[in-house]
Amino acid sequence: MIKKFVRKRSIHLCVVNTGGCNGCDVEIVSCLAPRYDIEQYGIYVHNNPREADILVISGPTTLPWIDRVKELYEKVPEPKIVVAVGACALSGGIFKEGHVLGGIEKIIPVDVKIPGCPPRPSEIIEGILKSVHLLAEKEKRLKK
Amino acid sequence: MTTVPIGPIHPIFKEPLRIKLVLDGERPIDAEIEMGYVHRGIEKIMEGKHVHKGLYLAERVCGICSYVQSFTFIECVEKISKIEIPEKAKYLRILTCELERIHSHLLIIAMYCLSIEHETLGMWILNSRERIMDLLEMITGNRINTGYNILGGVRKDIDKEMITKIYNVLDKFEDEIKTIREAFETAPLVKLRSRDIGILKYFDIMKTRAVGPVARASGLENSDVRLRYKYYKELKTYKPVSRKEGDNFARNIVRFDEIEICIKMIREVLELYQEVGGPIREKCEIKGGEGENRFEAHRGELTYKMELTNHGFIKRIMIRTPTTMNLAAYRYMLKTCPTVADAVATYVSIDPCISCTEKTLYIVEDGKIKYIW
Repeated sequence: MIKKFVRKRSIHLCVVNTGGCNGCDVEIVSCLAPRYDIEQYGIYVHNNPREADILVISGPTTLPWIDRVKELYEKVPEPKIVVAVGACALSGGIFKEGHVLGGIEKIIPVDVKIPGCPPRPSEIIEGILKSVHLLAEKEKRLKK
Repeated sequence: MTTVPIGPIHPIFKEPLRIKLVLDGERPIDAEIEMGYVHRGIEKIMEGKHVHKGLYLAERVCGICSYVQSFTFIECVEKISKIEIPEKAKYLRILTCELERIHSHLLIIAMYCLSIEHETLGMWILNSRERIMDLLEMITGNRINTGYNILGGVRKDIDKEMITKIYNVLDKFEDEIKTIREAFETAPLVKLRSRDIGILKYFDIMKTRAVGPVARASGLENSDVRLRYKYYKELKTYKPVSRKEGDNFARNIVRFDEIEICIKMIREVLELYQEVGGPIREKCEIKGGEGENRFEAHRGELTYKMELTNHGFIKRIMIRTPTTMNLAAYRYMLKTCPTVADAVATYVSIDPCISCTEKTLYIVEDGKIKYIW
């Protein structure tokens, strides 16, 4: 019961830019600003994969990142959630013809998708908040 | 000798990059920069595409300075085809460009404050940046990656209500930026962490070809392409700023100075805009040829070189971005960094933009390939 409550109010993020144009990352930085204030929901950006609950991934996954993203995904402790931010992370976007993998879903499972080029900060916060209840569900499944 | 790898994921870095610092005790001696995490081959994607599609790709070279990239691209095409854009569109382009310069400078000063652990000031700056983002959204329709430019003009016009709103927001913003600047100049923490740290000397600029605010903070006042750009020659309020110290503090103060000049320029441009009439876009035809265009991006000199066919398809394009030169200057700044934490703060103070920089580039020393970026 306590754990279920705490899970909702203490979420740690790890933001990974896999070779995007920075647009999504700038909007994630704007989420920290007092106007949007992501910390009021109990969400903290730490960029440390070993203590993260949610992996936020932006960018079209360039070739050097393919192995690194898999390593990062394994470093995050269970239960974990992957949020793909922006058109590039969903499908490769405008860089689909370049030296990119195109879509993070090809290598790791994605739970929440936030489309847009780039999505607004309010949309990013909404997407992350909607994914929080998945954490508790995943933990239940783990116990079984 | 120990090496400390920093990155590619680090709380301060917005972008993936690995710096390997070579340490003697706690003092960094040398740095090796490992790149390639953001190489998407954007120049190769652009080849064989039409200019209208290339414009969208040019915007996504970098998200922070997206408007400047598309500005330089489209001006280059217009230079090759000898198109003259209407007066109104010219002023709207300068207006958007200077607004974006304010937002970019504020973002990097905020990131610098976060990197020296002065979180309060960083959040304060991020908050007043939102005012500028509102203006950008009102004028162009989007916060980042605006898609505002089009061949022969701009997409949207502004009306009188918008002009009064821009004036009102700028008045409030000017007061805020004065308080923030005073806080930045007088804070003892900022003084401790940034004065006399990461010094780039005037003679080192000749070796590294540093550009933009980095060069201007070290005393090279003429390193500003806007001085020689046709639109800016008629503006009275524009003058370049420079300082002589060349340390982290000077680089950030140069950015604060530029923000003040940008505000004055926006006011002058709005006055000039209200005097002229006519359309915001003209019909035009693309002609083939070669050409190049330089402009002062927020980080320094930006060059687009391209070759077009008669129907407007891109044959070959080359983009030279400012961070390439500034990253080379980073190795000279390391000599005056006492600790690893200062080395990271110095890295942030040069305003790196890796997604601009990642084109294939060979650096040759003594006939051998030393770095492949």
